[in-house]
Amino acid sequence: MTKNASDESDVRTATAPYQAEFPYERDEEAQVTRREFCNFLGLTSAALFVGAAGFAAKAKLDARESEALSAAHIEGAETLAPNSSLNFSYPTERDSAILVRTADGSYHAYGQKCTHLSCPVYYSRDQQRLECPCHEGAFDAATGNVLYGPPPRALDTIEVESRDGQVWAVGRTAARPENGG
Amino acid sequence: MDKFGRWAELLRGRKMEADLSKQRSKAGQAAVWQARLIMLVMINIAQLWILAATVDAALARHYSVLLPLVVASGVCLLITLSIIKWWRPTRS
Repeated sequence: MTKNASDESDVRTATAPYQAEFPYERDEEAQVTRREFCNFLGLTSAALFVGAAGFAAKAKLDARESEALSAAHIEGAETLAPNSSLNFSYPTERDSAILVRTADGSYHAYGQKCTHLSCPVYYSRDQQRLECPCHEGAFDAATGNVLYGPPPRALDTIEVESRDGQVWAVGRTAARPENGG
Repeated sequence: MDKFGRWAELLRGRKMEADLSKQRSKAGQAAVWQARLIMLVMINIAQLWILAATVDAALARHYSVLLPLVVASGVCLLITLSIIKWWRPTRS
């Protein structure tokens, strides 16, 4: 029985000249020693620490920026009919928000991201509440509190002010979890 | 001849004792290695949980819990480093 020198399964006994010049043990390539595995776990631990510290640092940085939010005029809020809503962005163009004018005529604004899995919430005129279509969560239109469903906390609240007959967004705050989770 | 045979028996006995001691030592070292690896894996899992909690807190803007979480992760890293650097099996 003749052996094929270029056969993958028998590479260590191969006798071709180029294989002699580059002799490596294919089986040992895949093996990991306990020491290497230990070092790998150490590196993983360092990476996880760096990840946690990075996320925390970024969140703190974002918090510092959001503390100095400038007021922004909400276009079209003055003409908004009672029991209807309007989408706008605050504090940046990427932060979508929803302004609700309840049936009594008062204005309430919230971050549009559902606190469950960040789906955009919408205002249901029939039910007079904010609803999340993804997992059937609902929020109170006047307070932003969770009425039912999976969201763990109320919507982010955007403070609104009336200045010279115009509606302005002046700040944004995140709510604490209602169930402590 | 009899004396030589006794000596040979004695030497054989000592060699067997030494082999047994070496085997026990190896078994002990293997146990310590295993314990180290298990502890490291457990710490990694805990750190993974801490990272998930940190991301959750950061997205929910609960800034007060961020520092304790990072400190906890740092303590885990220190324990990991101490296990890797100092808690080694003795070479006997």
